[in-house]
Amino acid sequence: MKQKNFKNRMILFITLILPCVLFAQSTITGTVNDKLGDSVPFVNVIEKGTTNGTTTDMEGNFSLSVDNLPVVVVISSIGYNTVEITYSSVSPQSILLSESAEALEEVVVTGLASSIKRTNSANAVASLSAAEIVGTTPPATLDGALYGKFAGAIVNSNSGAPGGGLSVKLRGATSLQGNIQPLYIIDGVYVDNSSISAGLNAVSGAANGGSASSQDNPTNRIADINPEDIANIEILKGASAAAIYGSRAAAGVIIITTKRGKSGETKFKFSQSTGWNEAINLLGTRDYTEARVLESFGADAAAAFVAGQANGTLVDYEDEIFGEKGIISNTNFSMSGGDEKTRFFAGVTHNNESGIVLNTGYEKTSLRLNLDHKAKDWLKFSLSSNYINSSSDRGFFNNDNTGTTIGVALTATRPWDNLLPVDGIYPDHPNNSSNPLQTRDLVRNNEKVNRLIMGGSMNLDIYKNDNSDLELILRGGLDTYGQQSRAFFPKALQFQTPVNGGLNGVSVQGDTQTKNYNLSAFLVHKYRTDSDITLRSQLGITNEFFDTNSALINSSGLVASESNVDQAANTGVNQTRLKQEDSGFFVQEEVNFQDKLIATVGVRGDKSSNNGDANKLNYYPKASLAVNLNEFGFWNEDSKWNQFKLRAAYGEAGNFPPNAALFTSYNSFSTEGVLGISLTGVRGDANLKSERQKELEFGVDVAFFDNMLDFSGTYYIKTVDDLILNSALPPSSGFTSEFVNAGELQNKGIELALNATPISNDNFQWDLGVNWFKNTSEITRLDVEPFNVGGFGATLGTFRIEEGSSATQIVGIGPNPGVNGFELHGDSEPDFQMGLNNNFKYKNIDLSVLWQWKKGGDNVNLTALLTDLNGTSHDYDTIDLDPEGQLGNGPYRVSQLGVSADAFVEDASYLRMRELGIYYNITSEMLGGLLGGGIDNIKLGFSGSNLINIFDYNSYDPEVSNFGGGTIFTGVEVTPFPSSKRYLFHVAVNF
Amino acid sequence: MKKYIKHLFLSTIILASLSSCEVEEFSDLNNAEVDAFEGNLTRGDLQDLVGGVFYSSRVAMGTYLDDCGVIGRDYWRFSGSDPRFTNDLLGGGNSVLDNNTFYITNPWAGRYRTVKNANLILGFLDSQDLSAQFTTAEINGTKGLLKTFVAYELLLNLNLTDEEGIRVDVSDASNLGEFVSKAAALTAIQTLLSEGATDLANGGASDFPFSLIPSGFNDFNTPATFLLANKAIAARVAMYRNDPTAVLSLLGESFMSLDGADLNKGIYYNFSESGTDIVNPLFISLDGTSASQARVVHPQFLLDAEANDNRVASKTASFGADITLDDLTGDTVLNLYQSNSDAIPIIRNEELILLYAEANITVNPAEAVTALNTIRTSAGLSAYTGAMDPDSLVAEMLNQRRYSLFGEGHRWIDVRRYGLLNTLPIDRTDADGNPDDVWANFPIPLTENQ
Repeated sequence: MKQKNFKNRMILFITLILPCVLFAQSTITGTVNDKLGDSVPFVNVIEKGTTNGTTTDMEGNFSLSVDNLPVVVVISSIGYNTVEITYSSVSPQSILLSESAEALEEVVVTGLASSIKRTNSANAVASLSAAEIVGTTPPATLDGALYGKFAGAIVNSNSGAPGGGLSVKLRGATSLQGNIQPLYIIDGVYVDNSSISAGLNAVSGAANGGSASSQDNPTNRIADINPEDIANIEILKGASAAAIYGSRAAAGVIIITTKRGKSGETKFKFSQSTGWNEAINLLGTRDYTEARVLESFGADAAAAFVAGQANGTLVDYEDEIFGEKGIISNTNFSMSGGDEKTRFFAGVTHNNESGIVLNTGYEKTSLRLNLDHKAKDWLKFSLSSNYINSSSDRGFFNNDNTGTTIGVALTATRPWDNLLPVDGIYPDHPNNSSNPLQTRDLVRNNEKVNRLIMGGSMNLDIYKNDNSDLELILRGGLDTYGQQSRAFFPKALQFQTPVNGGLNGVSVQGDTQTKNYNLSAFLVHKYRTDSDITLRSQLGITNEFFDTNSALINSSGLVASESNVDQAANTGVNQTRLKQEDSGFFVQEEVNFQDKLIATVGVRGDKSSNNGDANKLNYYPKASLAVNLNEFGFWNEDSKWNQFKLRAAYGEAGNFPPNAALFTSYNSFSTEGVLGISLTGVRGDANLKSERQKELEFGVDVAFFDNMLDFSGTYYIKTVDDLILNSALPPSSGFTSEFVNAGELQNKGIELALNATPISNDNFQWDLGVNWFKNTSEITRLDVEPFNVGGFGATLGTFRIEEGSSATQIVGIGPNPGVNGFELHGDSEPDFQMGLNNNFKYKNIDLSVLWQWKKGGDNVNLTALLTDLNGTSHDYDTIDLDPEGQLGNGPYRVSQLGVSADAFVEDASYLRMRELGIYYNITSEMLGGLLGGGIDNIKLGFSGSNLINIFDYNSYDPEVSNFGGGTIFTGVEVTPFPSSKRYLFHVAVNF
Repeated sequence: MKKYIKHLFLSTIILASLSSCEVEEFSDLNNAEVDAFEGNLTRGDLQDLVGGVFYSSRVAMGTYLDDCGVIGRDYWRFSGSDPRFTNDLLGGGNSVLDNNTFYITNPWAGRYRTVKNANLILGFLDSQDLSAQFTTAEINGTKGLLKTFVAYELLLNLNLTDEEGIRVDVSDASNLGEFVSKAAALTAIQTLLSEGATDLANGGASDFPFSLIPSGFNDFNTPATFLLANKAIAARVAMYRNDPTAVLSLLGESFMSLDGADLNKGIYYNFSESGTDIVNPLFISLDGTSASQARVVHPQFLLDAEANDNRVASKTASFGADITLDDLTGDTVLNLYQSNSDAIPIIRNEELILLYAEANITVNPAEAVTALNTIRTSAGLSAYTGAMDPDSLVAEMLNQRRYSLFGEGHRWIDVRRYGLLNTLPIDRTDADGNPDDVWANFPIPLTENQ
């Protein structure tokens, strides 16, 4: 368009001067440098309006033969602003390229060793810049930065405990039994995101009565990564984009690039954020009256209530426990710089935050050093290293079967119960097996992590000439950590004293050592024809190793207040080892026809020790096509259309069987000291295949008005075949389940994103981003009997896997059962989600607000029921549930037990102000000569997260998961750690 | 160009060396695999495998005993964290027993797990030549013990589902036998017990080929003595089959002693606080009792007791205050066990004497009364003075069983055997006028696909 405009003028120009310069063949030369004086190689230099062009060499030099002078050449390179230079004579020119402001957004990943301009991408790859990650408000953990910022991700916090515990799910249901969390890759290193249980089940007995999965709610280890270190995150949401990652990519891939140094003057940045967090939504106590107390708890309680009321000694124990303001402090210091050959980025961050419950908190120190070294023009090295030390105290929450967790204990606690300690002695709870204040003050549940993540790469240019080059890239990455978990239940606890049937103190120590490393090598060949067709071929091999060794020592009958596990009457040890080795290759061919058509085909072949046949290669193909209609010249130069791209992509990816699925094994136990081995209950299958995801996505990207308005729409069909199911076996077989490939699951979804800059002038700029997405899933084939999964049985509401139904439907008993014998009560899948991001910039003031709306999606809320059964629910006497208007909500819900699960399935919609940030920038001009003008700028501000939360859900927060994040069956709530909102004040100095 | 060739050569070597990696196959790094025992069973292996049978025979037994105890109205199970004990099991309001809830699925699966553990060992013993490791007598003795366990585990599941039946032939997990009727199941259990008895009898005078046996089997830890326990279980099964003659003959071969001196002699489940073991699931200390964690004795049990029955005093304890949950109120709790490591009886002499009395009601009523009086005397009661007709004697026998075997999982099954479920007390009627229900049996678990 611009080119055409220019072309017209050129024709005129050429016509005018034609007679003078006819047939005057000349060679123009020049050198291209960036602002820091570094030469820029491989820059495209094209005679404007022609196909005559070349690229710069390693030193940034070029020479180009042109027919006549003067001539205009267009100089362009990915990541830099394109410039046009006029040569009126052949004298060499020095050309300065400035980095494109959108350099980071402009490029998206297409291969393991390559990226592509976003305008040419055939996939809807989301990317987040540093400003989007931490710019508005620093998230508590990295995954918290993903809320609401792009279409297609459901981020869910499993509990409000400090130190994380989030799950990220991309594009609906990826797997029923396998991994559903995306693969995280940081600077080329496969980063572990395990959640390792601290063994609290030994005390809570949570997994005894119902579902066997973990209810300990440990931190997921991606929480270790420091958000401040990140330059950019790219999200490959499904197989169509992520097929290049093969057998681990079914749940999507999150590719994180950390900050790197820039040559030039050394820059320092110091920032400090201080604030607090507090509970979002406490429920309050029941509206007690003497009559109500008498009816629910009897005469003694009524007398105690009256006395307490008279003396003012009634205690709101919910507030007592969850009412704290936890102090938050984040300190960050970084420096970066370097010369032409070597650049560095170094940073240190210290986070310290306390939870809303006493004795909970999270502390983390993260050190980073990133180095880049250009040894030769054709040889570059880079190194990323990150050391993390973190410690989180997570308290004792969630489901239990022993009345011991703080949450469950609270449900049985009435305001007149006397639980406050006197001289350090905690009274026994008159109505429950534990005193929650004592549990809070004496129980310790701590996780400590020491982690080292290192990645290195080498780029070697094997050869290079005008229209082709070949590059070798070697990469290696290491992620190793040791995690210690310490859960300590001293013998003084009400539920630990032997007279109360306790175990006389429990100490559970877990030690996990993880070492993962990956190696890869790629050859990338680029070839450009004279007619501006670019071919890029890649060939690579990869090798990954995973090794985790976890030991849990469980001791009871402690000596004195000794937490040492060998000072105990009874000790049990549990070791879990996981080893996996994957190896694969990858080839890909990209064809770019004049930026009009961009096609990619590729295949990855993977083998893994986790497959029944370890050395069999599984192939994961991909293909995609993008058509840039705007490049075809359909629009005239005045058109408002900047981009009109149609795209389609297809890819396949795998998902491994769960680790134990290949074996039929025994577990070892004892009976009064007599050792014995008993079947684990799972029948393994050595021939189990990986799940295979096939994803097809179509989309359109358009941009108008000098890119002030752009819109992207994507529709995808994501099919998971060979679905691995932990299919129930008739228990009379001696097994309760077996893993089988027995089904197919389909997700269909729409993702829409709109970005606009409605106002932009010197003083005021308004940027607006909206994303909207919706996913529906369906079990399209099920080769085993339909089964219930992931809840506490049909009486209370459970998920059910059934052909033709949503993968996340919630069913239960009810008055109007369907043919399957159950009534459909809901679905945990939201109707849609929406994010709305507004940035306002007025002079030196920045205001950013991010809203997130989740519409629909149901939870199974058992917290309310547990309080009802104890007569303590905050809405016990409110009458708004009973259709007959007779019973209070408490008695009504109890009356529904065994009648219908409907009362326990609740709409979990919410609208939140996720992030709010307001900052004032003091520029160096305003600072004048302060510190000799050494300060570049100072930024002051206030920010918050979850400051406004609107929902109709009858508990602390609809965003919750008793069973953690490793499953699609989230949203079951049993007395969780309430979530919190954060208020932070910031100061940042750049110098 | 030479430079390029050198680079190319280097990179080819690197690529080639990486791609030549074969992926290592790992076996199960965390657990022993079943396959490992199929070719080469050692004495040490057998000890571990049989130890697993002892272990799994106790899994979810607490739930089994609560099921029988609550539906049989021996006691109520109060749980603050699980409302289904007071709802579903008692049939509160409209609630019914669910076929996919822990109260049936866990004990059912636990029993069949033990059956599978035992059947796998029986398979290992049959499929390999073990003459170098074990004597024939040792193999016979082991088989006899395992078959007795299998039969007993099947019986417990049949007790839950009753007329719905159970699967008996479950040795091939991929090809399970059909569900059989209650009568057929009892016959099969009886047959299995008698096969086991034959094996035990052929087990020689020596010990089992595994020396570590939990203390609950202390008097029955050789093939010859374990045979006495096998016969005792067989006598119970024969009584369930209404075959008094067989009962009496089996009791004669069991460890029964009619003098009443040692009513507690028998076989027991053991428990301990070790991390790999299970604690006594019925133990809740008095101080640890609250509305959210209690086994509250059914008030009718206390009301119906004869004065001075020392069994009431020894098996229950007053809490000293009312405990209320879900409209149920009591002030006395179960007090059968004093610690987490107390043993729970499987079958003991007191039951055998009562079986002896029961079988004799039709065969020899006077002998029945003698046996009942042995029990009454030991309970501190005077001799029986009631009528001698069968109905009266049955009532007395059931009453003695109610108090002698309180909390041991018998009451519900006993009243059911005599068609007296409708005599169990109904505690509540909900707002809509729906009274509690007394269930006759549990549904077959959903995942059996019946």
